[in-house]
Amino acid sequence: MSASLAPECNEVKEKYDNCFLKWYSEKFLRGTATSDECEPLFKQYEQCLSKALKARGIDSMLKEAREDNRENDAEHMRPKR
Amino acid sequence: MSDSNRRPQSSPAVAPRLEPWLTTVNMVKFYSSNDIYPYPFPAVTLAYFLRYPNPYSTHVLSTDTIARHYDADKQQLTTVRLHLKRSKLPSGVLKLLPRSLLGASGSGESQAYILEKSVVDITNGTMETESRNLEFTGILSVVERQAFRRPVSQADDDAKVFQGMENAVRRHGFLNFGSGARVEDSGESTEVNSSVTLHSHIGEKWRKRKAAEDGAAAEEEQPEKMGFFKSWSTGSLQRSIEMIGLNRAKRSQPNAKEGMKVVLERMREGGLVAVLEGMRQDREAILGGHPHAFSKDNQRRGDNDE
Repeated sequence: MSASLAPECNEVKEKYDNCFLKWYSEKFLRGTATSDECEPLFKQYEQCLSKALKARGIDSMLKEAREDNRENDAEHMRPKR
Repeated sequence: MSDSNRRPQSSPAVAPRLEPWLTTVNMVKFYSSNDIYPYPFPAVTLAYFLRYPNPYSTHVLSTDTIARHYDADKQQLTTVRLHLKRSKLPSGVLKLLPRSLLGASGSGESQAYILEKSVVDITNGTMETESRNLEFTGILSVVERQAFRRPVSQADDDAKVFQGMENAVRRHGFLNFGSGARVEDSGESTEVNSSVTLHSHIGEKWRKRKAAEDGAAAEEEQPEKMGFFKSWSTGSLQRSIEMIGLNRAKRSQPNAKEGMKVVLERMREGGLVAVLEGMRQDREAILGGHPHAFSKDNQRRGDNDE
């Protein structure tokens, strides 16, 4: 698995990534997913990561970039057919 | 970001081009290529999420998922990830710009954050991705987009497509998490259009930047508006930087494709288990600072715009 930006989050990231891969390949790709089953693990991972992003001063840069792109996303990321 | 980024996308009806093509529209440079991966669409989307680390991406230091949303009604998955890449600024850019502006070390060694967003639509068989640099966007903004799709010929009949995918899912062992099952070569393929848009805003004020973006959408009006003499030096600096970025993108694109192919090949050979084992080895090699058995990768480490 890829490493986390924050080494202290590697463990929870790996748990989440494993959950996601299982869900993605067994449910999502088959068209049988009814909900994101890994959300609880994602919340844990997110909690760890958000602290790390804040400590590195990346959070504000990220927020800005995502706000900038929000309206474009709606346009760009629309499936083409 | 702007109309100029959106416009050059090829429509699904356009036949795949054989060669990458390049265009320059005023202050924007654009690279595009069409390829076909000889793997089924579900496998390609999975490989996209698992493409780092791979032997061609030793400059990628970390990958984190920062947001994920599943729309059950549309069966669409939206993912936002943050990559940290080791970056070496091209010497051409170092010569053009004062170091204080770049914030890099003396040799231009630095790290760069890349924000990646993707949407997988499993019903329609499409995956749209977009990656952009978070820093130095005033100097050079690089936006890379990829549109993966199941070949249109397979999409004539929706029910048939769905059935086909279900069959593919059953046939292809890569979906059996935790087992060593294999992916059979079924002859299914996935089309991908990749594009890179480069835009330097250096020396521009916001209003002028907007004008350039609008201008790119209406190319013929633009030269008069800009005021050639007034903007000459800024414009030439921007073009130089964009050209350097474009050349780098041209060099790094084949590596990005090779990286995907390595991951897909591992999937074919030994399923998800083989992919994860390959990633583990690549990660160890990166941490150890000696990418194993891939000598050419060392030479290309600076090409990190993917």
